[in-house]
Amino acid sequence: MSVSERSAAATGKGESSALARSLRGAVRRNAPGYLFLAPWLIGFLCLTLGPALVSLYLSFTDFDLLQAPNFVGMQNYIRMATADPKFIAAMRVTFLYVILSVPLKLAFALAVAMMLNRGLTGLPVYRAIFYLPSLLGASVAIAVLWRQLFAADGMINSVLAIFGIEGPSWISNPRYSLYTLVVLSVWQFGSPMIIFLAGLRQIPTDMYEAASLDGASSSRQFWKITLPLLSPVIFFNFVIQTIEAFKAFTPAFIVSGGTGGPINSTLFYTLYLYQEAFGNFRMGYASALAWVLVIIIAIFTAFSFLSTRYWVHYDE
Amino acid sequence: MSDEARVLPGQGSDHPYLRSALSHCLLMAASFVMLYPILWMLAGSLRPAEDLFGGGANLIPSQVTVAAYPQGWFGLQVNFGHFFLNSLLISSLATLGNVFAASLAAYAFARLNFFGRNFWFALMLGTLMLPYHVTLIPQYVLFLNLDWINTWLPLIVPKYFAVDAFFIFLMVQFFRGIPRELDEAAQMDGCSPWRIYYKIILPLSLPVLATAAIFSFIWTWEDFFGPLIYISDMNLYTVQLGLRSFVDSSGTSSWNELFAMSVLSLIPIFLIFLFFQRLLIEGIATTGMKR
Repeated sequence: MSVSERSAAATGKGESSALARSLRGAVRRNAPGYLFLAPWLIGFLCLTLGPALVSLYLSFTDFDLLQAPNFVGMQNYIRMATADPKFIAAMRVTFLYVILSVPLKLAFALAVAMMLNRGLTGLPVYRAIFYLPSLLGASVAIAVLWRQLFAADGMINSVLAIFGIEGPSWISNPRYSLYTLVVLSVWQFGSPMIIFLAGLRQIPTDMYEAASLDGASSSRQFWKITLPLLSPVIFFNFVIQTIEAFKAFTPAFIVSGGTGGPINSTLFYTLYLYQEAFGNFRMGYASALAWVLVIIIAIFTAFSFLSTRYWVHYDE
Repeated sequence: MSDEARVLPGQGSDHPYLRSALSHCLLMAASFVMLYPILWMLAGSLRPAEDLFGGGANLIPSQVTVAAYPQGWFGLQVNFGHFFLNSLLISSLATLGNVFAASLAAYAFARLNFFGRNFWFALMLGTLMLPYHVTLIPQYVLFLNLDWINTWLPLIVPKYFAVDAFFIFLMVQFFRGIPRELDEAAQMDGCSPWRIYYKIILPLSLPVLATAAIFSFIWTWEDFFGPLIYISDMNLYTVQLGLRSFVDSSGTSSWNELFAMSVLSLIPIFLIFLFFQRLLIEGIATTGMKR
């Protein structure tokens, strides 16, 4: 730039032309980057950032899709906190689902990963079998299957009948229906398992050798070597799986036929949001629900990151 | 990921064979339990209707029949062939868009210098955590105003604008691993960034492009929420919506037909899994994909 500026001054042209030239230079330097970025940038502004801001605004309105939104202040949020038993039910169901399914899923994933990491032959086969449910699990077909497995005359009860136990109708009993969905989630432990396996392979074997020379038992080795060294991976899996669990929708929708029943026992948060937005057309209220979900996820993520210094070990 | 044997001292050095035999027994039992539901569904689809629940937990039908497949196929006003074709089209177009748009953005982030790059990159990473519910309603209103409701456009067009930041992130990680000397040399020879992108970066990135394409295809194929919201005309239904209608319309009488269609809906994913298992598993292990 300085060369062109100097030459501009030397030829006695005005300052404005030097400015134009430096501007042109800036455009030339930045243009390729922004051209490549353009599709994403347009999508980000028009389909992500813009809509997110609009929904924040809508959450303070009574928007119903038919009429122009009226500003109602905090009313949607106040109603949520004080006058909406379904919201409370949805929160309860969702938190219960998250608290039960995530630790169980991670425990299974870690246990199986450790077993597979012992150098057994046939590892790829086992790994593939355990991973398959994760891949298929999000589809409607599996939700349909689950509804039938746990039906009154379904497979689970047929197995129980062999042992002389008469099982209830798991799906249509509000005491059990949520647990069938927890089982469905735990069944899909395959992808955290693969991430655990990759993490276990990073732990140097000589650490175990040294520990066992010193007479450390294998449970002690697990608590003192495996867990601390694996903690970044555990943390990662924990955050990802929890966020995913908060967003779960399809299984509850299919198993309950879209109602979240029986008696709201499978009314996942996202299912309630869907009902409010596209069943009752309370778009303003549903936007407020969406923002509460964002806040919950943000608080959870922030606390998880803050907690890392107490239990997550990073390499020095 | 290599699968070489690792001998961990202190873990069963007394009875290595017994221990590994025990592990195999446990793992085989676990594999059986994991696969049982899927096998049970497959078996259920091959049973005659009246036998489905008489069969209980048995995997082997008393009588094998494929009658449920044609019955299920033509079980709704629109046949499942339609739904499969629709899903295939939507998933293929969405995959193309995802790979194309995400690779462009990833190349800009990984290789090009421009003002504000780190700022945009941070924002892109921020959208990874953002639940889609937050953009759902304004997007719906936008597509409503564009008159796109009851078309496939809301399911396809956003992918051409790389809205799923996960694929960008995945590709940035990979592009950064490609030696910079390659594009620097090409730049010396007067190659434009566009030529470097499609002559050097893309050909060297086939594994990550394939991984992104596979995940993109599977996720679009399995997507239920998007079609549920945007599509109401049965002629435009995806397989997932077709299955859902089947659940609603058929009582408990035709579960074998529902199972048959469910099995068919899983076959494309299963085939991808069979052929591209290594890419899928590596993709998850290196990036920590959610599913």
